[in-house]
Amino acid sequence: MQREVGSLPLAPALRAKLVAAGFQTAQELLETGPCGLSKELGISKEEALEALQVVRQECHGDAARTAGGSGTTRKCTALELLEEEQAQGFIITFCSALDNILGGGVQLTKITEICGTPGVGKTQLCMQLAVDVQIPECFGGVAGEAVFIDTEGSFMVDRVVDIATACVQHCQLIAEAHQEEDHLKALETFSLESILSHIYYFRCRDYIELLAQVYLLPDFLSEHSKVRLVVVDGIAFPFRHDFEDLSLRTRLLNGLAQQLIIIAHDHKSASHGFRDVQPPAVTQNAEDTEMNPRKRPRREEEK
Amino acid sequence: MVVLRAGLCPGLTEEMIQLLRANGIRTVVDFVSSDLEDIAQKCSLSYKALVAVRRVLLAQFSAFPTNGADLYEELKSSTAILPTGSPSLDQLLDSGLYTGEVTELMGVPGSGKTQVCLGIAASVSLGLKQHVLFLDSTGGFTASRLYQILRARSEDGEEQAKALQRIQVVRVFNIYEMLSALQELRDHLSQQVVSSMGPLKIVVIDSVSAVIYPLLGGKHSEGLAIMMQLARELKTLAKEFSLAVVVTNQVTRESSTGPLKPALGRSWSFVPSTRVLLESKETTWEKATTQRVASLAKSSRQPTGIQVELDIG
Repeated sequence: MQREVGSLPLAPALRAKLVAAGFQTAQELLETGPCGLSKELGISKEEALEALQVVRQECHGDAARTAGGSGTTRKCTALELLEEEQAQGFIITFCSALDNILGGGVQLTKITEICGTPGVGKTQLCMQLAVDVQIPECFGGVAGEAVFIDTEGSFMVDRVVDIATACVQHCQLIAEAHQEEDHLKALETFSLESILSHIYYFRCRDYIELLAQVYLLPDFLSEHSKVRLVVVDGIAFPFRHDFEDLSLRTRLLNGLAQQLIIIAHDHKSASHGFRDVQPPAVTQNAEDTEMNPRKRPRREEEK
Repeated sequence: MVVLRAGLCPGLTEEMIQLLRANGIRTVVDFVSSDLEDIAQKCSLSYKALVAVRRVLLAQFSAFPTNGADLYEELKSSTAILPTGSPSLDQLLDSGLYTGEVTELMGVPGSGKTQVCLGIAASVSLGLKQHVLFLDSTGGFTASRLYQILRARSEDGEEQAKALQRIQVVRVFNIYEMLSALQELRDHLSQQVVSSMGPLKIVVIDSVSAVIYPLLGGKHSEGLAIMMQLARELKTLAKEFSLAVVVTNQVTRESSTGPLKPALGRSWSFVPSTRVLLESKETTWEKATTQRVASLAKSSRQPTGIQVELDIG
């Protein structure tokens, strides 16, 4: 593999030493071997071995992809992506107007941001979504679980109880109206206790805890593979005050955004961050997408 | 800075290398820039052998000049101009995207960069029947929107499906993944493997700032080094394989009231040869509109400052 040494994910000091010693491609590194490498660079054998492992992983990852293996790559044609997207569901909000402008509901594998002035209803909407993601598939939902990361401390469990009870009642009314077997079966498992037990709540008090939680989330999600919604309630709050170094803030926010995008994409979940806005602007950041061509048949009444 | 190794050229033996190394000559540059008589004496090697080796090394490692007429002929035969799918944008770019160059689209979030990229991919895939490589680093690639654009341009369902198959999408969410995806592309093209990648003429990267922003700034210049590595990779890919490279970038402001300027700083500003700034005509979000204004911020062919109106709907 003619991969340049500068493009490999190695530590900066090590990279500088490699360039100074005259190594240019990954192939040369692999040919030299750990002993030769440690001698030429003046590093210990363990460090040389570690570096070579990283290089080998990158190069074998490339080779696997060239040979046509899929593995962890995220490569496909647009046609395949279209088929995937059309088969994906939405998380409905139980407000038909909102669902309409979102193009069916909150999209999976994408990040949706809700902005607004304090008191306008952002946390309420997020709590509603955390309940709505759990609606069984026969009622038009995605039957998933939710992760709620709270930085402001505004999560009220009694309010979630109210929302969940109303949701269960609504589904019961639909089941009575339609009298189908799978509806009744789904209702057995769709109860207040099960809804509450499938909302995973994390409280983060400052930006370090928030960053740590988001970086640890992939491991959590691989254990709980049914999670379909990640809500970050107040993504701007920990970064608002006490931050002197503004460029660090930009960097951290960008890194956080990329990590959330990776989580949304790899685990097929919807990531939901939202922030306060200085008054008076109330901005709407949802992209106006067109209706899904194969729209899912909605069997509930519109509220 | 290539290290001297046995077999680098005929006549360069292992013992020669050991003797040279003992005298502090490790790389080709050291060898070529040193006084050969001096070395012949110190290392007790034959002067003729050293001169022969130096001649071969120079032939192998130096660049050769070409004259302007040859260069022009080569450009005429290898450069293609790809339509972007929007006539006003084509007019801004002097009839389209030139292969062998990097073109940059910049704008605030929501100004339409991804939409224009989708339009370009659709136009090249449907109109020219060429393959497109789309590197998506923001997760903003929506196949249903691409399908909508294709449906608006062509009635034939089979053609639309084929056009969709010609667009290959790779999701790369950090800089190393992007570099390895580009490396893979380079290997495909240099080995001329006609696998799923047919004749490739354009690479669209949306966006480049999303993967670089988390690395820039701070006390270390690591981020800058990686960014320049990416820049070099893009430019050499464009030049060597006659590809058109389209990248999208964000914008920042000096202060809260200053003018908009492209992100990633001065070092990146040397990378694209053409820069287009996309702006929304309305200043508020209240009126939903698909009208955008594209202005030329940097170009090697047209006067900068010209503006056209664009419809991304």
